[in-house]
Amino acid sequence: MGNILKEITNSATALAKGFSITFKTMLRPTVTENYPHQPPTFEDRYRGLHVLRRDENGLEKCVACFLCAAACPSNCIYIEAAENTAAHRISAAERYAKVYNIDYNRCIFCGYCVEACPCDAITHGHGFEISAYDTNALIYRKEQLLEPLPASAKK
Amino acid sequence: MAEPIKLSIDGKPVTVPPGTLLIEAAKQVGIEVPSFCYYPGLSLQGACRMCLVAIEKMPKLQTACTTVVTNGMVVHTDTPEVANTRKSMLEFLLTNHPLDCPVCDKGGECELQDAVFRYGAAETRFLEGKLHEEEKKFSNLVYYDRPRCILCFRCIRVCDEGMDVNAYGIGFRAAHSEIIPNRGEQLECEECGMCIDICPVGALTSGTYRYKTRPWEVTYTGTICNHCGDGCRTTLSVRNNVVIRANNRDHSGLNGEFLCVKGRFGWDFVNSERRLKSPLLRKNGKQEEASWEEALTFTVERLKTILAEHGPGAVAVIGSNRTTNEEDYLLQRFARTVLGTNDIDHHRTADFSSLVRALTEAGATDRYATIEDISAAKSLLLIGNDPTHQHPLIAYQIRQAVRQHGARLYIVNSREIKLRRQSSQYLQVKPQGEAEAVRALAGQAPAAQDLCAGGTGALTALADALKKESDTVILFGDEIQGQTVNDLVTCGLTLPGKTRFVALGDYANSRGAADMGLLPDTLPGYQPLSNEKARERMESAWAAKIPAAPGRNIRSIFEGIRAGEIKALLVFGANPVKTFGLDNAALTGLQLLFVAELFRTETAELANVVVPAASFAEKSGTVTNTCGEVQALKRTMRQAGTRSDLEILLALARLFGQRWTYQSPEDVLREIIALVPGYDIPLPSLLVGRAVPTHPEGRPPALERPDLVFSSRDSLFTSGTLSRYSWALNSVDEAKKPYGHAF
Repeated sequence: MGNILKEITNSATALAKGFSITFKTMLRPTVTENYPHQPPTFEDRYRGLHVLRRDENGLEKCVACFLCAAACPSNCIYIEAAENTAAHRISAAERYAKVYNIDYNRCIFCGYCVEACPCDAITHGHGFEISAYDTNALIYRKEQLLEPLPASAKK
Repeated sequence: MAEPIKLSIDGKPVTVPPGTLLIEAAKQVGIEVPSFCYYPGLSLQGACRMCLVAIEKMPKLQTACTTVVTNGMVVHTDTPEVANTRKSMLEFLLTNHPLDCPVCDKGGECELQDAVFRYGAAETRFLEGKLHEEEKKFSNLVYYDRPRCILCFRCIRVCDEGMDVNAYGIGFRAAHSEIIPNRGEQLECEECGMCIDICPVGALTSGTYRYKTRPWEVTYTGTICNHCGDGCRTTLSVRNNVVIRANNRDHSGLNGEFLCVKGRFGWDFVNSERRLKSPLLRKNGKQEEASWEEALTFTVERLKTILAEHGPGAVAVIGSNRTTNEEDYLLQRFARTVLGTNDIDHHRTADFSSLVRALTEAGATDRYATIEDISAAKSLLLIGNDPTHQHPLIAYQIRQAVRQHGARLYIVNSREIKLRRQSSQYLQVKPQGEAEAVRALAGQAPAAQDLCAGGTGALTALADALKKESDTVILFGDEIQGQTVNDLVTCGLTLPGKTRFVALGDYANSRGAADMGLLPDTLPGYQPLSNEKARERMESAWAAKIPAAPGRNIRSIFEGIRAGEIKALLVFGANPVKTFGLDNAALTGLQLLFVAELFRTETAELANVVVPAASFAEKSGTVTNTCGEVQALKRTMRQAGTRSDLEILLALARLFGQRWTYQSPEDVLREIIALVPGYDIPLPSLLVGRAVPTHPEGRPPALERPDLVFSSRDSLFTSGTLSRYSWALNSVDEAKKPYGHAF
C-alpha cells in the first residue's frame, strides 16, 4: 500500500518538476527565429555574400589590385582591370575593376579576400539566400555585388 | 691572365678576377647586397646608397657597387650597422614614394617592394605630406610617374649607353629632381621600352600594359620574336588567350634584357580584330566564309584538275620568311613530291646561298658568326644594311662590343647610318657602291675614283686597318650578293685570326627558309638539285620522286603566270603583290590562287581560297636567325578558327592521299636533324631554350639574277605585313619619320 502512495507522490513531483520548466520557458522571450516569415538576425561578423563598397563620393573603392583573387584558396574571384579616365571615372585611383566576378559555386566564405583587401573594398555582407536551380546563376557579377549608391552621391 | 684576387665576405673566402666589383663578388658566393642604381653592363652611379657594406680598416661604410675588390679585403654585410643603414636608406626612399602598390603596375615585381619586405622600414618617422605630381605621358608607349621615381638613373644610362639614343635627362634639383625627355616635352626616341623594363620601381610604365592586370595573374611563355632576323627571346604574358605584354623576363636567350620596339610592343597584331578567323572561298566572284573542309577540298580538287590537264609545270609555290623551319621543310616536300614541281621560292632578303657556297668552297664552314660572337668581337666590318633599323639586336651587340671592350667598328655604307657614331672608320661610298667597294677591297677590280668621298685613299686606309686586326666579324646586307659574296669571303679569310661572317636577312626565319630549301634549285641544307646523290637521299627518305630539273625562281614564276603557263599558285605567309609591286592584272591568269595568311593582305584579296593561319604565338616549332642559330618557338595561346601552316600542309597532303606520319612539329624536326646537312643539332639544348648554331655546308647553284635578293628595308617601326596591324607600332610619332632617321 505504502508503495503505491510513494509512486503517486514521485510521479507528481516529476510532473511538477518537468512542467515547471515548461511554464517558466513559456514566459521567457523566444529564441527561435520565425524565418522565412520574419527576417533572420545575424552576428555582426557573420560571413555572408560579399559586398563591394563605395567611398563617400559614391566611387567604387576597389582598385583592381587582384590581392583578393591571389588570397582566395578556392580561386573563385575573377577580375579584369581597366584604367580610369577623366570622362569615365569609376574608382578614386588610376585603376578600377571592369569585371569582378565571384563564383559562389566555389566560394567557401573563409574571408581571406576581405582580410587581403588593402582598400576595404570587399566586405562580407549578411546575404545568404543564394540557392539557385542553375549553377551559372551562382557566378555573381560586379553589378550584383556592389553596394547601392549612397543617397549623398545620388544626383 | 692576371693573378686572381682573394678576399672574404661574411667569413666566406672568395676568389675573383682583378677588377671585379664587390657587389659582383658577393653575388658569386650567394650573398645578396641590395642595390637599385647598380645594373650590370651600365656605368656605375652610386646614387641609391643601398649597397653600403662594412669593409675592415675603412672608416665608413662603402658602396659595394663602386668598390673594386683588393687582395685580403675583409667585408661584412651582416653587421647591425649595415642592417640599420639599409633600413634607414629605405625609409629615406619612402619619404616621397607613394604607397600605392595596389594600383601600381610594378606591384608584385618591384625591387623597392622586395627590398622593404626584406630589409624593413615598414614604419616611417616622417610625418610630413608626400610630394605629389601628376603623371606625365612621354609617348603613347611610355608614361612617367614622378612620385614613384627613386632617381636611380638606370633609364638615363640604358638609353644613353645601351641604345645610344640619349632621350632622357635629369631636371630640377634635390627632392624635386625628375626624369625629363631631352628633346622637348615628348619622348623622341627608338621607343624600345628598355627604360620601362629596367626601372626598379613603377615610375616608367608601359602604354600597352598599364593597369591591365597584375604580374602574378598571367602565364609566361618564352618564345622567339617573329619580326626581324635576330631571333630575340621574348616572354609573352598571356591572360585569357590575349597577349598582354612582352619582355625578356628572365634575361635568357641571346638578347639578354634587350628588346626593340617591335619585340616589346609589336606583338599586338596577334590580338588584332582583323585577323582572319575563317577560311574564305571565292563564289561568284566574291570571297565568302567557308568551312575548313570545303576550302581545302576545293583547293585539292582544283589542283588535281590542273595537274591532270597541264602537268606539274603549271603549279608554283611561294613560301614565307616567318613560318617555322618545320613548315618550310614540309612545304618544299609537299611541292617537290606531292605536286611534283620545283617551282618553289620565297622573298630572299639576303644571299645566304652564296655565303654557304663560298665558305664551303674555302673549307671554312666553322666561320659562321653567332650573335654572341658579335658582342665579343674585337673588330667588326659592316658592309651595307642599317642594323639600327633592320637588326636592332645586332646594332645593340655592336654598340656593346665597342663600349664594353673597345672593339673597332669599320663601316662601308652608302648612307649615313647611325652606327657610324661608334665606328673607327666610316667609308661612305656612292649609292649602290658597296659591292664595288668590296670588289676593290678584295683586289678583284680597281675602285672608281668617285666611289667614296675621300677618294680611293680611304679605301686603302680601311684595307690597311683591317689587316692589323684579328678575329674580325664581317656583316653584310643584301647589297653584297652573288659573286661579290665569294670575293668578300676570300678576302676576309686572308685577314689575320679567325674571321667570321654574317649575312643580314630581314625576317624571323629568312635564314631558315633558305636552309630548308624554299628555293627552286636547292634541296634542304643547300644541296643542289643537280647533285644526284643528295636528291636520291631525300627521295629514299620520302619514298617519292623529286623532279631533277631546277624550277622557276620567284621572278620567273610571275613571268610564267603572265604568260599563262602557270595556272595555280600556292602562297604561304607571304604577300608577293605588295613585296614585288605586282599590278592587279599580274595574277588574274591563275585558275587557283591559294593563300594561307593571318590577315586579308593584297595577295589574299585576289585569292580563290584564303585560309586563316596561326601566328607565331599560337604554334610551336623552330626558327633560325640570320646568324644561323636555331631556337624553339613555344605555343602560348590559341586563336579559334586558325590552323598552323603545318596543320594546313598535313591536311592538304592527306587529301592528296599521302600517308605522312608526322604527329607534331617535333616529328618533323627529328627528320630535319637526321636528314638536313648542318642541322644535326642536339634536341635537348634546343628544348631548354638555347640558341643552337648550325654550320650548313653545300654548293648551291649561283644566283640566277640580281633582282632575286633584296631587303624590304624595314624601319624600327615596320615589319612587312605584320606591322600594319599593330596598334603600338603605328601609334608612335617616330614611326612617321623618314626611313633611316637616327635618334
